[in-house]
Parts: sequence; C-alpha cells; structure tokens
Amino acid sequence: MSSIRVEQLGKAFRMKKKQEGLAGSVKSLLKPLYEDKAAVDGITFSARQGETVAFLGPNGAGKSTTIKMLTGILHPTSGFAEVLGCCPWTERTKLSYRIGSVFGQKSQLWYHLPPIDTFELMSRIYELRRGDYLQRRDELIKRFELEPYMHTPVRKLSLGERMRCEIAASLLHRPQVLFLDEPTIGLDVIVKQRIRQLIRELNEQEGTTVFLTSHDAGDIEQLCERAIVINYGRLVFNDRVEWMKQRYMTHKTIRLVLADDSGGMDVPGATIVERSGARLVLSVDTSLTTIEAALTDVMSSRRILDVTVEDPPMEEIITRMYGDFGEEVRTS
Amino acid sequence: MTVFGKMAKYAFIGKITLRNQLAYMIDFVVRSLFLLLILYIFLQLWQATFHGEGDAARIAGYSFKQIMWYLVITETITLACPSLCTRIEEEVKNGDVGYRLVRPIHYIAFHYVEYMSEAAIRLGVNAALGVAIGLLMIGPPELSAGFLWLPVAAAFGLTVNFMLNMTLALCAFWVEETRGIEFVYNKFLFTIGGMLMPLELFPDALQAVSHWLPLQAVLYIPAKTAVAFDAGRLAGMLAVQALWIVVIGVAVAWIYRRGVKKLNVNGG
Amino acid sequence: MSTEDRANSASAYSISEHDQPGRLRRQLVFVLRSWTLNLAGAMEFRLSFLLTAGMMLLNNVVWIVFWGLYFGRFQVLNGWELHDVMMLWAISAGGFGLMATFFGNASRIANIIATGQLDVYLAQPKPVLLHVLISRMSVSAIGDVLFALLVFALFGDKSAAGIAKFGLALAIAAVIFIFFTVIVNCLAFWIGNTEGLSFQLFNALVTFTTYPTAIFKSWGKLVLFAVIPAGFISYLPIGLLREIDLPFLIGALAVSVLLAAGGTLLFYRGLKRYASGNMMTLRR
Repeated sequence: MSSIRVEQLGKAFRMKKKQEGLAGSVKSLLKPLYEDKAAVDGITFSARQGETVAFLGPNGAGKSTTIKMLTGILHPTSGFAEVLGCCPWTERTKLSYRIGSVFGQKSQLWYHLPPIDTFELMSRIYELRRGDYLQRRDELIKRFELEPYMHTPVRKLSLGERMRCEIAASLLHRPQVLFLDEPTIGLDVIVKQRIRQLIRELNEQEGTTVFLTSHDAGDIEQLCERAIVINYGRLVFNDRVEWMKQRYMTHKTIRLVLADDSGGMDVPGATIVERSGARLVLSVDTSLTTIEAALTDVMSSRRILDVTVEDPPMEEIITRMYGDFGEEVRTS
Repeated sequence: MTVFGKMAKYAFIGKITLRNQLAYMIDFVVRSLFLLLILYIFLQLWQATFHGEGDAARIAGYSFKQIMWYLVITETITLACPSLCTRIEEEVKNGDVGYRLVRPIHYIAFHYVEYMSEAAIRLGVNAALGVAIGLLMIGPPELSAGFLWLPVAAAFGLTVNFMLNMTLALCAFWVEETRGIEFVYNKFLFTIGGMLMPLELFPDALQAVSHWLPLQAVLYIPAKTAVAFDAGRLAGMLAVQALWIVVIGVAVAWIYRRGVKKLNVNGG
Repeated sequence: MSTEDRANSASAYSISEHDQPGRLRRQLVFVLRSWTLNLAGAMEFRLSFLLTAGMMLLNNVVWIVFWGLYFGRFQVLNGWELHDVMMLWAISAGGFGLMATFFGNASRIANIIATGQLDVYLAQPKPVLLHVLISRMSVSAIGDVLFALLVFALFGDKSAAGIAKFGLALAIAAVIFIFFTVIVNCLAFWIGNTEGLSFQLFNALVTFTTYPTAIFKSWGKLVLFAVIPAGFISYLPIGLLREIDLPFLIGALAVSVLLAAGGTLLFYRGLKRYASGNMMTLRR
C-alpha cells in the first residue's frame, strides 16, 4: 500500500524582478517585471505506509515547497500527488485529520502559554474523543519525557524542549503520516540524537509513515530507510539509505589541532585536505579504514589538542552524485 | 575630543537616521495619507460648525481659514513625532540600553538627535503634503510674519515634546509597559494641548489650567504663532517654550540618573 | 514487525470523532476554547493586562471630553447632540473592541500572509479564516468593549427595546469592522506585503466611524457609504437608536452580509495563490 504518491509534481513562483537603485525601485513599482522561478521541477516518487523517507537537499532545493504541497498548504502549478488516497490541495481538511506536520521554523505552540494548553486546544481542533485524548496525551508525555515542561510557558523552554513538545503535539491525533520539515534545525548534537531516536521509536511502534526533510546528512543516516535527494527542484537520487551511505557517504572529515607542527605526516586510508601549521583536516575513506584507526594512527606520532569529526555537507554528497550520473537521475 | 569633533559625531548620527528614513519613503507617503483624511474630516466639521453658528465670520477670534490652517499645522507636527517610548522600552527590555550606556555618547543627547532628525524629515514630507492639501481645500492663509517664526516655534515645540516623552519613556526602567502611558499622554496633547481646537474655544476655567501646563508649548504655541501672529506676544510665547525645555530637561536628567543607578544595582 | 504489519496497526483506529454527528457543537467548543486560551495568555501579564485595557478606556473617555468641550461651546452640530455622539463612540469603540477582542488577528492577516504564518493554520483541520481570526486577542480592546458598555449603562436607553437596539448596532458594527478589515488585508495575497496600505484603509474606517455623518456633504457622504462603509456604522445612533430608519437599517444589514460573504470568498480565493514564506516565526 503506498501512502504517498507523487507524479511530475511542479511548483513555480512568480518573482518580481527588482532593478537596482532608486530609479529601478520606482520603475518596478510602476511596471513590474516578473520572472517564473521553478522551485520544484517535475518530481516523481512514492512511499509505502510505514516507511521512513528522508527528503534531502541543500538550502533552497525545493524540499519545503514539496512538503507544503503534500500537506495541502501550497497548490502546485503542475503534476499530481496523493497522500493516503487524498489529493492534498483539494481535500486538505479531510486529509489533515490523518496526517501530522511539524515545521521546524513555524511553531504551532502558543508562545505565552504552557504546552498543556496547546495540547488541549489541539484535541479540540482534531475533535478527539475525550478519554482517548487523555490517554494518548499521557502516553506521549511519558514517552517524550515532557512532564517537567508541561506547565511552563513555551517562551521559557529551550529550543530542544520546544521541539519535543511540537512533535508530541502533532502526534496527539495518531496521524498515519508524519511530515517533518527540518525538525533538527538549530539543535545541538545530543538533542538531535534524542529527537531522531524518538521518531524512530514512533515509526517502529505505531507504523507511522515518516517523511522528513533535512539538510543534515546525519538525520537520514540514523533515521531513515530511504533517501530522496533533490537539487534545484529536480530529483537527484532515490534509493535505500544503506546504498547511499556505501556509495556516497564514504568519507568523514576529521579536523585536528595538534600540539606541534603536522609536517611530513601520512595517514593510510585518509587524504590530507588542508594543512597549516598545527592544524590538519583529513578526509577519511570509511570503506578503507575506520575513524578510530585513523585517529590511533595520528596519535601514535602526535599529541592531539582538539578533534572534531563531521559528516560531509549535503552539497559535497550531491556533487559526488552528479559526478556519477551526470545530469541523469537514478531511481529504483 | 574637540568640541568640533563631538559635533561631527552627533551630526553623523543625524545623517544616518535621515538616510534610514529615506529608505522608507514610499511607506511614508502612504502613511501621510492619514493627514489628508483627518484634515478632510476637520474641514467638514468646522464648515458645519461655522454654518451652525449662523455663518459667523469669527469664532473665539479665529476665522474659518485661521482655524483650518491652525489644524494643518498641529496635525503636521503631531504626525511628525516618532514614538520615543516604543524605542526606549524596546532598548530596556532587550538589554540594548546597557550597550548604549557604555558607548561614549550621552544617552539622552543621542536620542534627542535621533528624534529631531527623524521628526525633521517627517515634518518636511508632512508639511509639503499639508500645504498642498491646505491650498487645495482651504485656500492660501493670511500670510504674516508668524510663518517665519513657525520653524523656530516648531523646533522648540518638538523639543518640549521630546522632553515630556522622555520622562514617560524612562519609566521603562521601573515599569514593564510605557506605551500605554504614552498613548494617554498623546490623547491629552490632542485635547487640552490644543491639537483638535485652539485653547480659546475652551471654557474659561480649562483655558486657565491649560495655560499653566507644558502641553500648550508643543502644538498650540507654534500653530497660534503662525496663524494669529501677535508680535507683542511672540517673545513671551518663545520664553514659555524655553522655560519648559529647561524645567523638564532637568527632570529628565534627574530621572535618567536614578534609572541608571537602578540598572547598575539590579542589572538589566 | 514487518512494514505491512506496522501499516495495519497505524490505520487500525482513529481517535478523532470528526465524522460523527455533533459537528456544530464541537466547532463551538473549539472557538470557546481558543478564546479562553487567549485570555489565559493575556493573564500571564496581569498588571500590564489591566493597564492596557484601562488606558484604552481612558483614551475613549478623553475623546468624549473633547466632544463635551465642543458641545459646551456649540450645542448642536447639524442635528447631532452630545448624546448622539456619545452613542456613536459607544457603537464604534464597541464594534471595534468586539473585533479586536474575539477576532484579534483580523488586522494582522496581511502580515500573517506575507510572513508565511498561514502554514500552521493550513496544516490543521479547522476553517482557516475562522481559525486565524480567533487565534489572537487584543488585550487593550477589552477596554474598548468595557467603555462601550459603560457609556451605554450611563447614558443609553436601558429599556428592553433600547438594549436590543444597542445590541444590534454593536453586532452590525462588529461585522462591518471584521470583514472590511479581512478584505483590505487579503490584498496581501495579490500584491505582497501590504501591511502599511491595509492598515491605512483600516485606520480610515475606524477614523470615519468616530465622526457624525452629519458633517459630511455630497462627496464625503458618497465615500462614507459607498467606498469605506463607515457610514453604516456612524449613522446607527440616529438611524437605529434614536428612531428606526427602515431603509437605512436594511441597507446596513445588507452591507454586513455582503461584506461577510465577500470577505470570506476573497480570503479563500487568495488561499489558492498563497505562497508561504520561510521566515522564522513564533506564534504569539
């Protein structure tokens, strides 16, 4: 059973072209020039019920636009989409009882009120049966460990606490599909980790389809079965995350600050990207060696003052995909 | 730093504010449409009033034209005043005031320059618009030397208004919300300050009270100076304005010092 | 558990009763709940809550004082007396107050559209316009409502008919205020951020409704009744409260219905053009 089906979906925005200077401003006020810009340019994919799909791409690739079309917020300019058998933009209300959404940058919680009050309002908005709501609420509070914050005004919560409340709020009505738009944006590593874990548990226990956008490669790696990558509104990759990891996320970046000069050093399985005095940036090929082995190797000859390990940025992964397929799209 | 250098510093703040304001020009013109609206309403109101008085030539010494030009001036100045309380309240709330205080610029002087430059440019636009509307709807005023003194009286008036607003705005050090106080202050300025009608139209008792309040120095004195010029009273009027500037200025300085002391003790 | 099993457990049962009978009651509960939440939010800042409401009340009183001064000097203004102007202020402030208290987002719709904040409302299954409107409460406007009730209690006609007429006048004023505001704010769907323009038009309506219709002549009257529907509010003290002027009353009711229908239609038309922004926003 497919819960999301998208065919040749496209969205173009009409942009006012602004000319430079005061004269240009006046001109564009009197006789505006418009330009159509395709945010999403004919994409096709589908997702099964219970699947976790990551929707990836750099900033401005069209991820948010797609998720907004799938939740019925935006009307597309071309193409077709179906979520749980409904057309999102014509059957928005009907669909909204069955899906949940979290927009990382747009809060649904009432800023001056404690989350418990927003939860209560949500139960009215989704017209939940009283007993079921209370049971569901307590269950989510327990699972998301929200007990300590439930009665604190939202404005006093930290970003991570607020995000956990946001996700819990969007789950109150037991949605069959959960859309998450950049749920981990601006959070620190530990909080990110916790939120990923919660979403994974939810998917495993309730079979909710999870559709998540991110520009953080870490989100998919730990959370999703399948990855869809878009760039400039076009599909670049659509396959299992496993495969994507093996094929494209083969490198990790290690940034080191050593106690002394790094001259004349060589680490097997890693290439030196940058070297300036005591600073060293290594790109480790994880198919040849492990991070641990590379670090051990460095430590055997040098003293390390500071170290960070990073995933390569989305832009780099995409460049590598393009290198493989050219402009072609790989779909399974 | 030399005196000249100091002056240059404040001149620069003024210039930046002016530039900032110019960027909002279009929005500004839209806002100025309110002037058109309100003057139109008052034109209708006073036409009906003069008609109701049996087409009297003068009411309380003012001809119809004089009253209308009086209102053009009070409205133009009123709409040119920036909201000081909004700005100061914001600065106190988000803690910016702390940074402002450590800079080598006197806090009050900084705000005064900013306030006056913003008011000046708004006044320029409003005046152009007000004169245009006035000429079209009312016809040219009876010109007198008073119009030459108007810029001086208006600058004095704006300064008094700044000082009064500053005393209210500085309350932000003690209370959370000052915009409400500002709101009510403005309403007093509109009525017993003489924006909506000249003080001469008030009952005698209220007139007497109004003449003892600083509010008359903001709008009534500049407008009256221009439309019903009386060379013999000019010096007196300007002196009243100057006196209020000094008196309220001293009060502002005192409140400011207490406020800073409180800030230093309690933190932002 | 396989993917198939999981899928089955998810669709197993829904805890929403939205397809059960009793929709209207649940809608009502939702609206009431939003209002109480708004009030609770305002109460978070108890002192400033009382202060702002009080200020607004005082503001209106100052205007009444102005008119008191005016009528102290001139007695009658083209047939209007101080009492009529007081009722005018009660109706105008009351209508505005009802809008800003219970449908407080009306004047913020342009901003909500331009900054993409409609997303949250669109993702939830409630009538979007209603949901937007009731999601905010202007605290100061409670002062306006109190002012209206106070003026009526002190100077109004407190017979049963008088109370009914005043109630009707308030309702007409509130509907005209709400939907005129919705209409001017919906411009943002078509011409980008119109906050300034929308606010000016809204402001024009508010300003016009606080002056007696009797001072306006030919062109002014036309604007008042045809362009900015302020006349249908500001003539209420004469055409409804003093004595029922049937053609005027029918006109006022028709205009209210027309604005309500037109405003709603325009909003939903605009929704189709909505392009949500990506601004970082918090719900306040």
